Amino acid sequence: MPDIFDAYFAQQVINGISLGLVYALVAIGFTLIFGILNVVNFAHGEIYTVGAFAGLLLIVGAAPPLLAVVLLVMAVGAAAGVGLERLAFRPIRRFSDEASLKSRAMREATLLSSLAVSIVAREVMAHVFGGEMRIIPQAALLQDVITLGPLTLTNGNLIIFGASVVMLGGLQFMLYRTRVGLSIRAVSNNVLGARHVGIDTNRTIVATFAIGSSLGAAAGILVGLYDGNIYPYMGFAPGIKAFVAMVMGGLSSIPGAVICALLLGVSESVATDFLSSGWKDLIAYGLLVVTLIFFPQGLFGHGRERV
Amino acid sequence: MALLELTDVHVTMGVQEILRGISIAVPERAIVAVLGGNGVGKTTLMRAISGIYGITAGSIRFDGQEIGNTPSHGIVRHGLAQAPEGRQIFGTMTVRENLILGGITVPQGEISGLLEKSLELFPVLKERLNQKAGSLSGGEQQMLCIGRALMAKPKLLLLDEPSLGLAPKVVKQIFDLVKRIRDEGATILIVEQNAKAALKVADTAYVVEGGKVAVEGKAADLAKDQRVIDAYLGGAAHAKG
Repeated sequence: MPDIFDAYFAQQVINGISLGLVYALVAIGFTLIFGILNVVNFAHGEIYTVGAFAGLLLIVGAAPPLLAVVLLVMAVGAAAGVGLERLAFRPIRRFSDEASLKSRAMREATLLSSLAVSIVAREVMAHVFGGEMRIIPQAALLQDVITLGPLTLTNGNLIIFGASVVMLGGLQFMLYRTRVGLSIRAVSNNVLGARHVGIDTNRTIVATFAIGSSLGAAAGILVGLYDGNIYPYMGFAPGIKAFVAMVMGGLSSIPGAVICALLLGVSESVATDFLSSGWKDLIAYGLLVVTLIFFPQGLFGHGRERV
Repeated sequence: MALLELTDVHVTMGVQEILRGISIAVPERAIVAVLGGNGVGKTTLMRAISGIYGITAGSIRFDGQEIGNTPSHGIVRHGLAQAPEGRQIFGTMTVRENLILGGITVPQGEISGLLEKSLELFPVLKERLNQKAGSLSGGEQQMLCIGRALMAKPKLLLLDEPSLGLAPKVVKQIFDLVKRIRDEGATILIVEQNAKAALKVADTAYVVEGGKVAVEGKAADLAKDQRVIDAYLGGAAHAKG
């Protein structure tokens, strides 16, 4: 009996890590944008959906290898992010000094404008593609079973794990070793200082949207192929979970968001041991409430670097 | 011809006109000081030169080119870098990252050489390279701020209140470095409330009042000017004492 339980438990942990990594990829987009503008981008969940549909169209149309699908989806995601910035964020940002860049008015206005863009995008996708789940060609699914002793994995688990680690590692390299990354961190840290050293703040903000959105879009297609479901409303739940991970992680800490996303994914997955799966969304909100009560700055928020 | 030439510059913020026709000339390889009390528009002047604020009238010519209303990232590329008021360093990033960011407008290949030069000028930063900039003392932060500006290889270095909040000993150290930076070929425009310290290193100086130049002349003459002494050099106290 204990053996079976342990195997089942380990299985749930593995599934939870995959889920958590997906939340992490989505949460990074939130966190990067929050770090640089102090605003929540409510359209980020739709970028995830756009990524999934872009991938689906590619697979149905040309059936390229998975790596090409992911890279092209990331490019589409980046373009969608840039478009989103133009549409919902740039018009409201009249000045680029610190006060107006991170002002309350800017925060509230973009909160609504990004929400508006997200609703329009979702409904347009529902209109074009239909509200139902789409059928994904069998060959493209990431559901090949791999048996490891008592554990059953799919190649989707491994691919999500590998892809997420590469993307998270790439992001860290970019933020700490490249000029674009240093500029993003500098603008997050001190806008006025960034302008004085000669950083083009608008360009840096656009780059932030492109990077965050490309990760979100990649998560969308990976999950679509892993779960076998792609539909216009698929971005909502991971969007909320990623948002929770960002808040738990302290709003502007990438490592914090990643750790909390993993915590969330694993808890949700393991909780199905004790709860019926219909209750599993409760976990995220429960953790959020507990974090906010006991660690109002998030688990990793205190005194950490933004982004 | 002067390296930097402001002619009748006006800046309006909201409904308030902060600069009301200011004219200043900074000759090549000089140290020029702009003095004045709180709220006379000194920092506005610096931000207008650096392209943080737009100008509503007048002209700013640098190296023969009109740079008024050029965005700030364009200004730095012209060869004009500023150590701004309040230092505006990147507190949660390391000293090394701060300096590297200072050179974000120069080709990547020149960074390591420039970094070495900056550290030679400010040896205290060398031991602190991997420390968070926010953990430095006020004087060290000011040095980092100037070092960061120098990373952009500026022809003209703008210093906005470099002495603010620093102990007299540190102020002297900073002004000695300012002289050294000029001797190594840069031109410097410095804005200060600490008129005494600024007049000691400056060649020429301007006193700004109400968004306009009230007095201008050689720094040595200004240090003897009764109006300047009364207003900025603690003249009344001297007379009594």
